[in-house]
Amino acid sequence: MIVITSGGRFTVLEYALAAMSLGVLGGGLAVRRAGAAPWAVLLSAAGYLLARHGHAAVDGRAVVVGTLLLATGELAYWSAEEHPRIRAEPPVIRRRLLLLGALLACAFAVDVLLLVAGSLAVPRGVLFAAVGTTAAVAAVALVLRLGTQRP
Amino acid sequence: MLASPKLVGYTAISAVGLIASLVLARPELVALTAPFLVALAAGLAFARPPRLSVRVAVDDERLLEGEETTAHVIVSAASRADRLDVYFRLQGLEVVDGTNPVAVRLEAGERRDLELVARATRFGGHVLGPVYLRASDGLGFLRWEAAAVTRPHLRVYPREAVLRRVLEARDTEVFAGNTVARAKSEGIEFADLRRWSPGDPAKRINWRASARHTELQVNESHPERNSDVILFLDSFAEARHGAEGTLELAMRATATLADGYIRRRDRIGLIGFGGILRWLVPGGGIVQLYRLVDALLDTQIVLSYYWKDIDVIPPRTLPPNAHVIALSPLLDPRSVGALLDLRARGFDLTVIDVSPVPFTRRPPREPDTVAYDIWLLRRDALRHRLQRSGVAVTEWRSGESLQAGLEEVRAFRRRAHA
Repeated sequence: MIVITSGGRFTVLEYALAAMSLGVLGGGLAVRRAGAAPWAVLLSAAGYLLARHGHAAVDGRAVVVGTLLLATGELAYWSAEEHPRIRAEPPVIRRRLLLLGALLACAFAVDVLLLVAGSLAVPRGVLFAAVGTTAAVAAVALVLRLGTQRP
Repeated sequence: MLASPKLVGYTAISAVGLIASLVLARPELVALTAPFLVALAAGLAFARPPRLSVRVAVDDERLLEGEETTAHVIVSAASRADRLDVYFRLQGLEVVDGTNPVAVRLEAGERRDLELVARATRFGGHVLGPVYLRASDGLGFLRWEAAAVTRPHLRVYPREAVLRRVLEARDTEVFAGNTVARAKSEGIEFADLRRWSPGDPAKRINWRASARHTELQVNESHPERNSDVILFLDSFAEARHGAEGTLELAMRATATLADGYIRRRDRIGLIGFGGILRWLVPGGGIVQLYRLVDALLDTQIVLSYYWKDIDVIPPRTLPPNAHVIALSPLLDPRSVGALLDLRARGFDLTVIDVSPVPFTRRPPREPDTVAYDIWLLRRDALRHRLQRSGVAVTEWRSGESLQAGLEEVRAFRRRAHA
């Protein structure tokens, strides 16, 4: 992440955000807290965003960064949720690795398509904004719904 | 169905990313967020609740301490389960082979028999299980949890120590046994001489004694009879440290004594006094031994809500002339009162004080040390009170030989009868 994103005006801050992200992730995994993973991802994304400050052109490396962030999240949650007392049989681990690989490949492909579509000169307007807003609102609603759901 | 922390986390990341991309108008943020949306969509779309059935079984329902048995958890999957965590709660058993808990993967229609070889480490009646199951989808977004209702029972019998000698009862019964009775009848042990009377067989004439008398003299013998022994187990209260306590010690000693008396063809019975009054009428043979040990396994410390004012044993629960051997930590005044009542009713009573002292710790500071010393002195005074009542008492501590304690009692009874 640091290799990809550093070099901008806020290099020190980018390094700091990257270090914080690593620290949060490492600390969370050490105490087996899965809740640290989204914070680590958001801190890394913030560092990347800071590096893009002042650059108007769309960065094609965002596809790689997004896929890497997903891989980080997947591996972090997998590590945190694996209990040391529960021994997983090899077919369980093989299946999870297979699904992870397939997911990363799909996510990369979708990201490429999205970025290509985004770079096309098509008229954007209220409809696109409405779709984006609806997606964001739906995501927030889902978060709230899951947060209030009893286990 | 439960949402995993991952589902909540990815949803939060997606929401923050989408809102930030709208606010900041950066297409790169969509590229960063889209993979998480793809993962959410894929995870939720392909997640299906698993359809499973579970059966639990144990190869042996009765074991001796230290023996091993195999427990089976048989899982049948009607639909695919990408990850199924299985945990079989085995209380009182130590797993020696197999993995517990374990995560497995099952295809639709697959049946798995998860075997666990377990060793019985502690005697008692154990209810095994439950078996906890947790299934999750392939990407870990959703979980389903359940517990199997089947809970097999396992009875682990104590390994008894072998006693060289047991206590002789003061009175005997009418059936043949190994105890030399005080009465005079047909037997091996010489008892007395008496004058010959019509009907005495010629083989019983003592010719040497007859030569010294003017009339024929015959030998009288003590017959060998059995006796009734009642084992009195005090379960009102116990002292415990870690996995061991006075109740376990008392139960082991009870099983050992029962085995010793059954070998002598005596009849043994059991009274479990504590909370609930339980008794087993005296009987003989190996069947009675197993019946008694089964009753021991059902004994446990219960809150004394039952028969709060009971401090005496109802008269008809004890056969007359029975030798009562009580195994008690002498902690509860109700059990002490019951023992003194038994002695007052004229029963031949022996008390084995299963000492709670090794399960306590001497306090480091005063005045706690003073209180501790007073407690020890009160226990000594209680034993003396029982001895003054004619009860043979011995203090038996964990790690000491039960045989040594019985010899101490035998010496007291010999002096008392003399």
